[in-house]
Amino acid sequence: MLRTLISCGLIATMSPTAAVAADDPASSMFSIGGFGTFGMVHSNQNKADYTSAPDQAVGAGYTNSWSAAVDSLFGVQLSANLTPKFSAVLQVIAQQNYDDRYWPHVEWANLKYQATPDFSMRIGRTALGVFLVTDSLKVGYANPWVRPPIELYNLVSITSNDGIDASYRLALGDASNTLQVAVGRAEYEYPTPNSTAVVTARSKDQFSFVNSFERGFVTVRTSYGQARVSVAAYDPLFDAFRQFGPQGVGIADKYDADDRMVRFFGLGAGFEPGRWFAMAEWGRVNAHSVLGNKTGWYLSSGYRLGDVTPYGIYARTRTDTSGSDPGLSLVDLPSYLAAPAQALNDGLNASLATSITTQRTMSVGARWDVVRNVDIKLQFDHTSLGADSRGWLTNLQPGFPVGTSVDLTTATIDFVF
Amino acid sequence: MRLHLTRRTQIASQLLGLALGLCGSGARADVVAVVSSKSAITTLSANQVADIFLGRMSRFPNGALAVPIDLNDGSVERDRFYAKIAGKSPAQIKSYWSKIIFTGRGQPPKTVHDDFDMKKYIAANVGTIGYIEESMVDASVRVLN
Repeated sequence: MLRTLISCGLIATMSPTAAVAADDPASSMFSIGGFGTFGMVHSNQNKADYTSAPDQAVGAGYTNSWSAAVDSLFGVQLSANLTPKFSAVLQVIAQQNYDDRYWPHVEWANLKYQATPDFSMRIGRTALGVFLVTDSLKVGYANPWVRPPIELYNLVSITSNDGIDASYRLALGDASNTLQVAVGRAEYEYPTPNSTAVVTARSKDQFSFVNSFERGFVTVRTSYGQARVSVAAYDPLFDAFRQFGPQGVGIADKYDADDRMVRFFGLGAGFEPGRWFAMAEWGRVNAHSVLGNKTGWYLSSGYRLGDVTPYGIYARTRTDTSGSDPGLSLVDLPSYLAAPAQALNDGLNASLATSITTQRTMSVGARWDVVRNVDIKLQFDHTSLGADSRGWLTNLQPGFPVGTSVDLTTATIDFVF
Repeated sequence: MRLHLTRRTQIASQLLGLALGLCGSGARADVVAVVSSKSAITTLSANQVADIFLGRMSRFPNGALAVPIDLNDGSVERDRFYAKIAGKSPAQIKSYWSKIIFTGRGQPPKTVHDDFDMKKYIAANVGTIGYIEESMVDASVRVLN
């Protein structure tokens, strides 16, 4: 599993207590481990790109009909058990970034204080585990599918927390309940479709609680999160609206993305009695802005036949807010303001249109555990976009048929070491 | 005729081999969960053992700290132990721990090299829990049913 770099045993061989230490289970001070995925995705829709996360610049379809950029990544994790109570972890991942480059970024870096076996606190960058597999989102080997269903997982594109968190586990007879509370901030960069411009989202006053109840092979997770999110790229548009008196201010107040309170609710359950598994998750994010309010959920089940585990997924995203707005009324405006007002209305509606990501996907696939620590997966997805929806596709090209359907074929190799 | 006999012999020997194989696996000693004979723990359900080994529980039902000890990744007894207590394949166990390790949520149990080290370590350390072949059980450890 995690390969020992410097073991206490090694150090101990230099001391007189070597004989005792040799009997001890391997206890290491530093260890290194890692994971990775090499994946190829084919999309039959060549007028848009399919990506596995909103922070990817290119994907399968328009940029390349077969793309390795969607699922491929490589991560390395360094852990240090500094004392029995203090440990540190650093995880670095190289994958496609918002700028279509692969320079590695720090996924997590934190210091953990294990006060008791059931209570711990961490400071630094940690996973914001609001969904069942959010915290292992990038560890393909840990997941049954080629990737978690984007219909739910794309709802919350902020997956880390720079701050502190505390975790408390309570044993309840045969069951255990873990409550994790986190406060902090995060900053993420996103690509702009068909452009090299970068959009920065700043999330502050993040607060989340995640409660996991486990009993035997049943896991139930409930989560709530809130944050004040600012996307400065929208400011020029809404600042301009504010020049148009009360009706402009009204529109800006309704839609702007400046220090906007975003709330998230999630509920998930997993059932894994051994040979088969079933999972169901539901989540809702209310952005109360131009970003839209969305609901996502999926059902998935699989059955293990020796080394092969076939599975199916049904997943949906629904945008609960409108993709258009009448905008400024041009009737009462002086004629020289009508054209700029119309331009603003068009800008608002273009932005609102991209918030409509309603889609549903049926997937079938199989995981094959080829050798220890390596699996190969094959998955087929059939996605139908809602009316007026671009779904989660990006880099739309002229002539893209809104409301169309997309077929994907994905093959991945996952490994851990 | 000779050919016919040979073929029958082949089938017979294949069947015999199959039967022996089955007997062999049936007679194979079970892997059992053990604690030190000095431990106060006398019984644990398979679920409780699984919870301790999968890091879901840190204490025995009597409140004492439980420290699980594993055999090295790749050992046959280890694979059979997890199949027995949790119904999980080696890949499922690996995938379970990958999830926990790579989120910094925890570390898998510490490991010892083989059954002999396991028995010696468990016997000497009250509070630890491990597993060995049933045939290796002696007075130094207690089997948990």
